[in-house]
Amino acid sequence: MRDDPTVVALVNRAGAGDQDAWNDLVDRYAPLVWSVCRRFRLGAADADDVGQSVWLRLVEHLPRLRDPAALPGWLATTTRRECLRVVRAQQRKERIEQPLDTYMTPGEQDALVEHEVLAAERNMLLRTAFGQLPEHCRRLLALLMQDPPLSYAEISARLDTSIGSIGPTRARCLQRLRDCPAFAVLADADSRGG
Amino acid sequence: MSVIWDDDDQLLAALREAVHEAERVPPAFVEAGKAAFTWRSIDAELAELTFDSSGACSPRAPTRAEPAPLRNLTWASSDLTLEVEVDGDALLGQVVPPSPGEIDVYVAAACVATRPVDEIGVFVIRPVPAAAFRLHYRSGTASILTTWIRLP
Repeated sequence: MRDDPTVVALVNRAGAGDQDAWNDLVDRYAPLVWSVCRRFRLGAADADDVGQSVWLRLVEHLPRLRDPAALPGWLATTTRRECLRVVRAQQRKERIEQPLDTYMTPGEQDALVEHEVLAAERNMLLRTAFGQLPEHCRRLLALLMQDPPLSYAEISARLDTSIGSIGPTRARCLQRLRDCPAFAVLADADSRGG
Repeated sequence: MSVIWDDDDQLLAALREAVHEAERVPPAFVEAGKAAFTWRSIDAELAELTFDSSGACSPRAPTRAEPAPLRNLTWASSDLTLEVEVDGDALLGQVVPPSPGEIDVYVAAACVATRPVDEIGVFVIRPVPAAAFRLHYRSGTASILTTWIRLP
């Protein structure tokens, strides 16, 4: 995030050898790496292999990462490249074993993948913005996002607040989400990507 | 992107999807990422898998009557290649150009075996690791780490 001091601090600490900071980075960005793998339809074993390659590259790359704010983009690009390597190896294999099958051309595959990777990055930015909210907002929104949905009566009981306050608080918290620095990056990306 | 960020319901739905996506990440995937920090202490150049006989040149699946074909793998760094052949219960390896040293076998973040590389660059690893593994070749002048591989 261009204005996320947490990420900058974590990258600097991890680069200096702090395992706890590294763990925080992995917790934060593993969903991005994983979801890019899933969008390439990789199986669990291939995703594990891609993950290992990506984290190893990040370990090597950390000391040279001059702009820690560029980390999410770097991770998405690196994961996409590693996934393409695996997918192309599979395609070569399938072409030999099933020569009559139709498959997407690399160009079609890339277009699909580009769209999916953008969705993964968008989700990561949403999670980052969510993490920047005050705790009472995170608690309320987490309850509102439960599946199956909770009634306002249940939510008011859990938060020990009035039913009437839930709607207005929900609106205020979502507005705070839009005001988060990570959300500004998201809106920028959307206006560029259409 | 079709989400209208100004709409509360659509924003909440997009946030729900993003949060649930994170919850679907297997814990082992996250743990493996944390364990990768161990590699920080290893000063090595990464070698890419540039050839795999199972992906590039197996014209047909073996029938039950014939033995499984040998699997050949090649990893290349800027100066060296590691050529590995899977032969039954062993990995037979060749460092090119030949140079003596040692090969470490890593499974996850743990070094599970160290084998010598002889004067003509040959090494043998037995048994074949049952999980995903990588090799780290060390000599006086080189330090090469392969990408991960999982053999059936």
